[in-house]
Amino acid sequence: MLILALDSTAVAASVALLRDGAPLASFHVNNGNTHSETLLPMTKALLEATGYTVDDVDVFACSVGPGSFTGVRIGAATVKGLAFGKDKPVIGVSTLEALARNLLPATGLICPVMNARRSQVYNALFRADGEQLTRLCADRALSIGELDAELSEINEPFYLVGDGAALTVASLKRVHPLPTSEIAVEQNAISVAKAAHLLYLAGARTDDAELKPVYLRLPQAERERLERQAKNATTKGEA
Amino acid sequence: MLSRLIHTSCTEQTEQAGAALAQRMLGESLPPFVALYGDLGVGKTAFVRGFASVLCPGSPVRSPTFSLVYEHRGRVKDLFHFDMYRITDEDDLYSIGFDDYLARDGICLVEWSENIPYAIPPHHIAVTIEKNDPCDPQSRLIRIEERKEPPC
Repeated sequence: MLILALDSTAVAASVALLRDGAPLASFHVNNGNTHSETLLPMTKALLEATGYTVDDVDVFACSVGPGSFTGVRIGAATVKGLAFGKDKPVIGVSTLEALARNLLPATGLICPVMNARRSQVYNALFRADGEQLTRLCADRALSIGELDAELSEINEPFYLVGDGAALTVASLKRVHPLPTSEIAVEQNAISVAKAAHLLYLAGARTDDAELKPVYLRLPQAERERLERQAKNATTKGEA
Repeated sequence: MLSRLIHTSCTEQTEQAGAALAQRMLGESLPPFVALYGDLGVGKTAFVRGFASVLCPGSPVRSPTFSLVYEHRGRVKDLFHFDMYRITDEDDLYSIGFDDYLARDGICLVEWSENIPYAIPPHHIAVTIEKNDPCDPQSRLIRIEERKEPPC
C-alpha cells in the first residue's frame, strides 16, 4: 500500500512516500514560499527515484491546515488534482497533528505552534505516550501571551515544534519548553503520511471533491466579525 | 534614519521621487516594506511606477485596485504592488496571502495602508503624498520616513 503525502502549509515544503506504513522516501525544501513551482517537480523526482509512477499510488494525503493561506491551498489543490486524475482516495491531516507526530515515540505534552504573524500562533495540544498520540484540544489560533498563560496553568514539561517554535520560545515569559531536535521542528510530509496511514487503517478516507482546506480565523478577524454582526443587528433593530 | 520631504509639481516628478527611493533601497540597508498613504488620485500609483522603473524596468505598472496585488519580477528583488482600498478586515487580508508575500524576499509597496494599520511591519518606510496648494492642482508634498514603530 503506497501513500503519497504533501505538506506545503508553511515556508518549508515536503513530499513523502510511505509503503505499508514505513517511510520509503522524502524530499524537503526550505527556500521560500514557491510551492506552486516546486511541489510537483519534487513529487515527480520522488516517484522517479523510487521507481514508481503516479499510477502506483493508492492514497493521496496532504496537511490541510492551519497554515499560510496560499500554502494550504496549493497543497490541497495539488492532491485534489492528482486524486481526481487517478480516481484514488484522499486523506486530509491537521498540520498541527502531523507536527506533533514528528516527535514520536515520546512521552509527555506536545505543543505544536505555527507562525500566524503579529504575535499569534496556530496551535493545539497533544499528549504522547510512546507511539500513541491523544489530542487535548481542537486546532485554534491564539496570541502567544494567551498560550503562555495556558501552559503555565497546566504546569508540566512540554515539547514545542513547528515553524513558530523559535518565535514562541523568545516570547514565552512564564514557561520554558524541553529541548527538541532541529529535524523535528519543521513540518514533514513523512508525519503527514503516517497520520494518513492510521486514518486509512481506521477506515477514514474521502475523495477529491470532499477534501476541504482548514483556515482558522485569527483572533483579530474574529473580533472584527463579531463587531460587524453586532453592528448589523443594531441597524436592523433600528429599522 | 531615512527622512525626506519632497515637493513635486507634475506626475513625472512624483515618478522621479519613487525612482529615487528605489535607488536608495537597493543601495542601503532599509526595510523592504513601503506603506503608501494618500487620497484617491494623489499620485500613489505614479510613485510606484517610478519605483518599479528602477527595480524591474519595462514591467508595466497599473493600479491594483481590483486585482489587489501585482507581482513584478525584478533583476535584484521582486516587487509586490498592493492596493488595500477594498480590504476591510483581517480575513480579507489573510485570503489574499498577504503574510506569504512578507515571507518572500521581495519589496512590498502598499497603497491604502490606512486600511491595514494592524498589519504594517513595525520597521517600515512610510510615504505620505498630499496636495499642498489649492491654487495648483498638480502640486504635491511627499513625505518619506523610515519608522520603527507600527502605526497602531
